[in-house]
Amino acid sequence: MMKRDYPSFLLYTFGFLLLWEWLRPVEQLTETDHIETFIFFLILAFALSFLQLKWIWQYSLKFIYILYSINRIHFEEGFFQVSWFKEFFADLIDNIGVIAARNWNDLSNEFRTLLFFILLWLMVYLIHYWLINRKQIFIFYFMTLIYITVLDTFTPYSAKAAIVRTVVAGFAVMGMLTFYRIIQREKVNTEPTFLRRWMVPLAGMIAFSVIVGIAAPKAAPIWPDPVPYLTANNDKVPELDARDVHRIGYGTNDSALGGPFIGDKNPVFKYEANGKSYWKMETKDVYTGKGWLTSGTTPISFRQEDLVPVYSLPKNVETIKESARVLTHVNYNYNYFMYPAGINKVLKTEPLDSEGNDFQVDTTNERISFYNHEKAPIVPRVFTVEYEIPKYKAKDLVQTTRYDPTSINAKFYEKYTRLPEELPPRVKELAEQITASKTNWFDKAKAVEGYFGKSEYTYDQKNVAVPDTNEDYVDQFLFDTKRGYCDNFSSSMAVMLRTLGIPTRWVKGFTGGDFLQYSDETSGVQVYEVTNNNAHSWVEAFFPNQGWVPFEPTKGFSNEITINYETTGNSSNNQQTSTPPVKKPKQEELDNTKAPNDSNPFFDMKRIWADTKLFLKNNWQRMILLLLLFAGVAAIFYRVRGKWIPYFLLVVYRFKKKDDNLGAAYVALLQQFDRYGLKRKENQTLRSYARYIDSFFSTSEMTRLTVIYENYLYHQTLPKGTWEESHELWENLIKKTIA
Amino acid sequence: MSNEQMNPMIEKILVNIEKVMIGKRDVAELSLVALLAGGHVLLEDVPGVGKTMMVRALAKSVNANFRRIQFTPDLLPSDVTGVSIYNPKEMEFQFRPGPLMGNIILADEINRTSPKTQSALLEGMEEASVTIDGVTHRLNKPFFVMATQNPIEYEGTYPLPEAQLDRFLLKMKMGYPDLHEEMEVLNRAQKIPPIEDLCPVIDLEGLLTLQSEIKDVFVDDTIKRYIVDIVNRTRGHGSVYLGASPRGSIALMKAAQAYAYMFGRDYVLPDDIQYLAKFVLSHRIILKSEAKFEGISAEELVNQVVARVPVPIKRLVR
Repeated sequence: MMKRDYPSFLLYTFGFLLLWEWLRPVEQLTETDHIETFIFFLILAFALSFLQLKWIWQYSLKFIYILYSINRIHFEEGFFQVSWFKEFFADLIDNIGVIAARNWNDLSNEFRTLLFFILLWLMVYLIHYWLINRKQIFIFYFMTLIYITVLDTFTPYSAKAAIVRTVVAGFAVMGMLTFYRIIQREKVNTEPTFLRRWMVPLAGMIAFSVIVGIAAPKAAPIWPDPVPYLTANNDKVPELDARDVHRIGYGTNDSALGGPFIGDKNPVFKYEANGKSYWKMETKDVYTGKGWLTSGTTPISFRQEDLVPVYSLPKNVETIKESARVLTHVNYNYNYFMYPAGINKVLKTEPLDSEGNDFQVDTTNERISFYNHEKAPIVPRVFTVEYEIPKYKAKDLVQTTRYDPTSINAKFYEKYTRLPEELPPRVKELAEQITASKTNWFDKAKAVEGYFGKSEYTYDQKNVAVPDTNEDYVDQFLFDTKRGYCDNFSSSMAVMLRTLGIPTRWVKGFTGGDFLQYSDETSGVQVYEVTNNNAHSWVEAFFPNQGWVPFEPTKGFSNEITINYETTGNSSNNQQTSTPPVKKPKQEELDNTKAPNDSNPFFDMKRIWADTKLFLKNNWQRMILLLLLFAGVAAIFYRVRGKWIPYFLLVVYRFKKKDDNLGAAYVALLQQFDRYGLKRKENQTLRSYARYIDSFFSTSEMTRLTVIYENYLYHQTLPKGTWEESHELWENLIKKTIA
Repeated sequence: MSNEQMNPMIEKILVNIEKVMIGKRDVAELSLVALLAGGHVLLEDVPGVGKTMMVRALAKSVNANFRRIQFTPDLLPSDVTGVSIYNPKEMEFQFRPGPLMGNIILADEINRTSPKTQSALLEGMEEASVTIDGVTHRLNKPFFVMATQNPIEYEGTYPLPEAQLDRFLLKMKMGYPDLHEEMEVLNRAQKIPPIEDLCPVIDLEGLLTLQSEIKDVFVDDTIKRYIVDIVNRTRGHGSVYLGASPRGSIALMKAAQAYAYMFGRDYVLPDDIQYLAKFVLSHRIILKSEAKFEGISAEELVNQVVARVPVPIKRLVR
């Protein structure tokens, strides 16, 4: 039987943690309330079991707690009133009848609560039995894992953190139980230090594997997510084979474009603003010949009310500040924010998590995502965006005539002008032909944009081809089919501009939608509704002095950007500035932006916590690198410890005068010999080991020292001056290992 | 252990024994250990290797009353303990003490006699007294039995039960002498056996003093722990049907005390335990039949166990 010691406390704690994992999803997935009552019951039951109270106390305490909880949850009368108990008792009798009749659905809530308590009681007893008597927990642990993973796969419950917790607790408890099983089988008596020597490597291994597990890249599931199949009968159409008829709307997979669409008038979101604007969801930078991909992900966390770290307009572009309030429709189930180009801040997001939210922007594709504190995606329902509408000046726009490595980062330029090698040359030829008379990038872009206005190009959602394996999506549209919708037009323009060496990217999102009403009579704020039919794609081209400028090649659409064509010069005659092409958001910048409106930054724990998290998130790679470096240095020190420890020991023990030091010094000497390579077998007595050492160094000092130590250890005698006497012997021996 | 300074008195006894016994110093040492610890010895070996000579030399050296009992199947308990005989002259029963009433007794081929007689001897060994016709007779002090048994012959023997084997402090083998020793034996055999000329080097009083001093030999808790660890391991070993009892632990400690004393130490070392474990524990263990078929002997097993138990090299943490 185990005692009330620290290890068994640990065992019970881990048992409790494992059982808790079973309760967590219950709270999220079912309508069970008052989950803390049950958790507290678990704690109580485990504590009683650990304290080994008499069974009568254990039973009565638990029983009183159950009654009290039922009273608190289900009855309004006080606990000490008899009436509720009578009622409960009558209910109990009724329910037993219901059970006998197998009318499971008629069970009352009170009775269900009682049954749940009894179930928990049983589980606690079982875990106690497994831990203490059987010393085996694998089956329960395995079931816990299955439970969590199945829930994670088939329900909204996210087991991202749960799986880590379970692995830690489960392996810790199994490791400890293995220790106890070995002890039991081998019938060895153990010292307390024994367990510690087992636990330290165990904890180390668990920590190591968890860190590796978290840090390691995880492959996406190789099977399709089964949930969409299960929920396939509603409107949320999974993105399946590109050859199928799609329902129009925003989706994230654009690797295979083409194919017909059917319209969908279901609303996506509404917004209140002073005018219509296009709404961006994301941008893509890699054209594959069949569709668009993102070259990678570079997520950066930011806080609500901070500047969103996406590309912002250069200072020399005049802007008008605007804001819009967005209300997403219930059917919208992405955790991404839609935003107008020139976004500054996301504000007043709902639903907020009381424990803090996580806003992330992927600077590669400019997608802004929303998570709760556990990193589970959350669909934003209401939020406000602050943005700036640029007012371009035509004479600034036309300044760029060619690629200049001083104004555009070479890597950046290469990324946004890259094209697949299989792209037919006639695309480039056509682009050059269209823009033959133009000299600057802006005019060239305008020419290409205008080219699609020709009557031979038709906007069509139905009769749209999908490129064959050896066909190019853009080439097919430009020269063969000439029929298509926004994806065809925008991709074609983007690709053609790239053939001319103008950096472009492909933008996805929604058009401005339909005007619905004024939000109220006086303000003049307009409400627009955006439906799935408004899903759209367009092009942004990069001008070093102007930033990303949107273009709208699709027939029948227009994106109102303000371009001032006045030619009378003013101060805006600036040269192509050498601003870095993409603003690299840094932690410091984020900090600076929030500083002013922060009244007492030192006492705001939440803020500090959020800052820390942000810092960790943005710097974790660097920190891991540092950690690895430290570990490496420590490892090297450890490897060569045989070289430096003897000096260290010599210095330390030189200043020790007490006779007691003999014990520690002798043990240190044994360890030093061990490092030196003269290993003592566990069953070798000190005397025979001393003879071995002495014959190795051809001396008799070790035997002499050992006799003194034996006297100290096995006889408990320590004559005065022992250490002084033996110190020289000891030093000589240590020095032998240095030589 | 040989580089240690022996207790001078014991050294004298051993030298005396060596005058007649060639080689076999270890057996002599172990016999002395048993004698000093107040225990008894079971010698297991074939005839003719000098068992009797060893005991007689030991008895002579300590000036003890030496008796020898040759066990045969028809030996009766009264032949061992003694018998009351009616004396017609005095008109009463008179007790005639048996061979058990000596100090040092050689019980030769103990497994040849019936269990009844064996148990009479073993009772005497355990209780240090015998009861005849309702009268309890104390045995002499010191009282030391050296029993021998022949491991080769099984026909017509009554093997000692485990419970009785437990009464012997040590069990050991004599072994054959090596080449030079045996030649020396032949040399001496040409002369008159020197055993008659052996002089005592210590009297019984002195022996009793030695015995009482041994009880004061210090056994540290680390050593006790080490003993218990070893004994415990024999209980859990896979090849063992029945491990050593707590009496085994006590025996190991007592033997170690005597052994330490013999080498002039007043405290016990793990080395003592390691050396003695085989002799103290091997006859207290019953092996599983599988292990026996595999040819594992109890001695080997004890050595295995000792090899697996770590030697204490630090003070116990309290």
